[in-house]
Amino acid sequence: MSLTLAQQKKRKITYSYLALVPFLIFFLFPLYWMLITSFKTDNEISSLRGVPLIIQSMPTLAHYKFILKETRFLIWFKNSFMISAVVTVLTMVVSVLGAYAISRLRFFGSRYFGVGIFCTYLVPPALLFIPFYKVVGLLGLLNTKWCLLFLYPTLTVPFCTWILIGYFAAIPRALDEAAFVDGATYIQMLTKVFLPVAAPGLIAATLFAFTVSWAQFLYPLAYIYRDDEKVLTNGIYTTLIKGDVYFWGELMGGALLASIPVVILFAFLMDYYVAGLTRGSIK
Amino acid sequence: MVTIRSMVNGRPAVSAKPRLSLLSRLRSRRWAAYWMILPLVVLIVGLVVYPFVYSVYLSFENKAETKFVGLQNYTKLLYYDTFWLVTGNSFRFTLTAVFFKATLGLILALILNNLPIGGQRLWRGVSLIPWVMPLALSSMGWWWIFEPTHSAINWILVQLGGSPKPWLSDPFWARVACIVTNIWYGTPFFMIMYLAGLKSIPESLYEAAQIDGARALQRFRYVTFPMLSKLIGITVMFSTIVTFANFDIVRILTRGGPRYTTHLFGTYAFNIGIEAGHLPRGSAVALFMVPVLGVAAFFILRNIARGEE
Amino acid sequence: MAKITRREFMKGMVAGSAAVAGTMAVPGVVRKAFTAKATLNIGLWNHWIPGAVDVHSAIINEWAAKNNVEAKIDLLGPQVRDIRTIASAEARAGTGHDIMALGPFDSWAFVKQCEPLNDVAEYLEKKYGKFDSLGTYLSYSEEDKAWYALPAPMGSHSYPMVSRMDYFNQYAGIDLPALFPADASKRDAKKVDGWTYDVFLEAAKKLHKAGYPFGNPISETSDGNDWLGPLLLSFGSQPMDREGNITIESDGTLAALEYLKELVQYMPEDIYGWDDASNNRWIISGKGSCIQNPPSAWSVAKKDQPQNAAQLWHHDTPKGPAGRFRGALFYNFIMWKWCKDKQAAKDLLMYLLEKDQQWKILAAGQGYDMPQLTPMYAHPVWQEQGPPPGTIYNYIIRGDEQLVVGGYPAHPIAGNSIYGKHILPVMVAKATTGEMTPKEAMKWCAQELEMIAE
Repeated sequence: MSLTLAQQKKRKITYSYLALVPFLIFFLFPLYWMLITSFKTDNEISSLRGVPLIIQSMPTLAHYKFILKETRFLIWFKNSFMISAVVTVLTMVVSVLGAYAISRLRFFGSRYFGVGIFCTYLVPPALLFIPFYKVVGLLGLLNTKWCLLFLYPTLTVPFCTWILIGYFAAIPRALDEAAFVDGATYIQMLTKVFLPVAAPGLIAATLFAFTVSWAQFLYPLAYIYRDDEKVLTNGIYTTLIKGDVYFWGELMGGALLASIPVVILFAFLMDYYVAGLTRGSIK
Repeated sequence: MVTIRSMVNGRPAVSAKPRLSLLSRLRSRRWAAYWMILPLVVLIVGLVVYPFVYSVYLSFENKAETKFVGLQNYTKLLYYDTFWLVTGNSFRFTLTAVFFKATLGLILALILNNLPIGGQRLWRGVSLIPWVMPLALSSMGWWWIFEPTHSAINWILVQLGGSPKPWLSDPFWARVACIVTNIWYGTPFFMIMYLAGLKSIPESLYEAAQIDGARALQRFRYVTFPMLSKLIGITVMFSTIVTFANFDIVRILTRGGPRYTTHLFGTYAFNIGIEAGHLPRGSAVALFMVPVLGVAAFFILRNIARGEE
Repeated sequence: MAKITRREFMKGMVAGSAAVAGTMAVPGVVRKAFTAKATLNIGLWNHWIPGAVDVHSAIINEWAAKNNVEAKIDLLGPQVRDIRTIASAEARAGTGHDIMALGPFDSWAFVKQCEPLNDVAEYLEKKYGKFDSLGTYLSYSEEDKAWYALPAPMGSHSYPMVSRMDYFNQYAGIDLPALFPADASKRDAKKVDGWTYDVFLEAAKKLHKAGYPFGNPISETSDGNDWLGPLLLSFGSQPMDREGNITIESDGTLAALEYLKELVQYMPEDIYGWDDASNNRWIISGKGSCIQNPPSAWSVAKKDQPQNAAQLWHHDTPKGPAGRFRGALFYNFIMWKWCKDKQAAKDLLMYLLEKDQQWKILAAGQGYDMPQLTPMYAHPVWQEQGPPPGTIYNYIIRGDEQLVVGGYPAHPIAGNSIYGKHILPVMVAKATTGEMTPKEAMKWCAQELEMIAE
């Protein structure tokens, strides 16, 4: 008995949705667990009675109130946003100029430069972490959020430059040669020809820089300890764990709140990101 | 600033003597390139190369950092059981996690690719959340899931008739916990890469295969997989680099325990260097990562270079 | 610009009038008139007890206002090891705070960058008697004859046993409040003498049978260090002597490991993965009958599971063949060499460690903080806290326990690595999980100790 094409297609979709379920459970369970923990009372969190997978007693907003009123959550939020935004801008300026020069303006060593940039991506943060003390001290930026402006680009710039090199290299030479003969300066060529064509790549790199900056944990933990200078990751971790006392409800709620902005950002820009990332890194 | 000014200076006296200016502009091209690349070079030399060289230098010193001891920090490590344990951990962690991420990511991408556009967008977005969330924060969630006394997973296992597992306290299960968290975090990245790859496979190839009577599995084997293989290679290598250098997950979930059995190079370097006060040896441990990462990088670059031919 | 030096000032003070000795309020008052406004950056541990940090900060700010100093306070944490990370950063960078509160051994990683504080320490010892021997071990360099750190109360804590009175009574037949009453004068030294590791093992067996086991982490945590280090010592096992000779391979170590092998049979299986808070959750949830911890577990239980908290009693550790030892995690103050106004910093430290100030800090810590000067033991806070009334009275040393830290009696620079790499808990874990025999585990430990030596 053969099915019509439409029926076949429908069955395929149904099966696909069914197969998707285990993945979604895997992906979403931690979020669900964090979410319900953040609404449980302390008494319920610490008890071992009943079904832990649901909220058994009255849900409480106490943890969120605590986060917003008793901690500097909003200040950390502002700091995270500001640092991530500035780092992103810096990264893009440095990467665009660098990638453009490497991919188009031939100069001594330009062929190996791309490889060199990529290799810096290999130096593990856990290694740089120790010598960075010296750099941060030298700059006089220990214990201020501004030191992150110098440290985060080491994580964002190599990859972004690399993506953009791929993008720029894919732009037909005829395009910029024409512009060149027309008397365009290099900057004009960059802004008028390269940037518009590479827009998806730019968006991808921007998003990458922003999320990487937003998620960083080790550097802020090591270099920033003044409450008003902290960012979300280290702020939540250092304030809601004290010695051997863990504020689970607040920790979970804070972690969720802190994740919302990047999730929203992705909800809107995901398509560009996907396109940019895949093209940029393959080519 | 400087860069921009030089760009402006580099502007030719337009159209007056076009031929000559074209030549001079070609010459000025090199200078323009130097100016443009300057910020990148400053950043990389000042914040990557200098610190890197400094930690190499540091790794040649004694514990008190008063004496040059040559390669002693490295050679001592080689005679040291715990170092080999950590090496084994790092490879085991990386290989297992990358394998599962690559496989699950592929399956997920194939599933999503079957869905109609609307559903695909939505569920692709949802599946991406683990990767978008700051890892340090989601690791705290996983930590609470694996917490021995209140473990949610154990509760479920018991309800399903199984026995509770000693998450985080038995070397095997602690490794599983770290790897599961890493898989959770990294699978969406593979999915996204593969999905884009799947989109780039021309529909005509499948149609041709269908006409030839190829079944689903054969279509996958003879069309999908070969078309994706290069992308799979690159994604795997990329993920290998990032997974090998992982720090956050182990730091938050197990801190290297039980009995150092989940320490990775990164966390162990941190433990020796910072927590046990032997910075030079900590640097040496971290530097052992570099050759391994270099191999991964070699394969990525070779793959990509080939693509450009 | 006549500036009275510390020495002159102190001479006057020690030799001096009853009035000064009595109030001892403000060494800095003198400098106020003479010097320009100084700034002090101070890093304190972010105490988990609500309000404790505020009291500490208020004391500092009050002093600062009086002395024309601007004090900037940062709260560091969350855990001791995170403070260590921060201090490493500052030591490398050569900049940061002026004064910091560090955890045990931490100052030894930065001896070169720490300013000796001999005058302050000597002044305090003269006035209040010697610091606790552990505090001295952690803060004083015998080689350099220098106090690189000052033992401080805030955050310092010890690891007594925290037990369920009801379970011990019902299942093990031990009446803990009777054995360790909330009044030192009612303590019967002979009965306490019978509180040994053998007796404890019997109790642990019975409690395990009743379904309420003893639980403590055997993992890479400070809690693991802080109960296993003392246990090893009480069997006569010492990792290293002060000169650096490795002494772990001993009969004492074997005896301790054999003992622990038996004890773990009556403990939960997942102790090998416990973190610093797991034993807290264990006792708070009502699953466990006994842990070793400062009163934080009980304090959280009071809020979250009050019916369980009401049954908790803090008391002395058991005695082993080589003595009775209790673990402690002591904080101390250091002053970095780059501090610009050293005099002001020393004045502040002295002021903070005077009895009046310690008194307020101890009260604000609700009994969690442990003083390192014996006259402070008279503080009423340990008597007042409850319910049950008197539960943390014995949190302060009332009997024959000696406070120690995992790694003692090695030279503190080596001790730092032993503690930081959690070598002792890992050795115990290897021996008690069957991964190695006790002998092999001992050998493994010796190799680790060799590695940290140089």
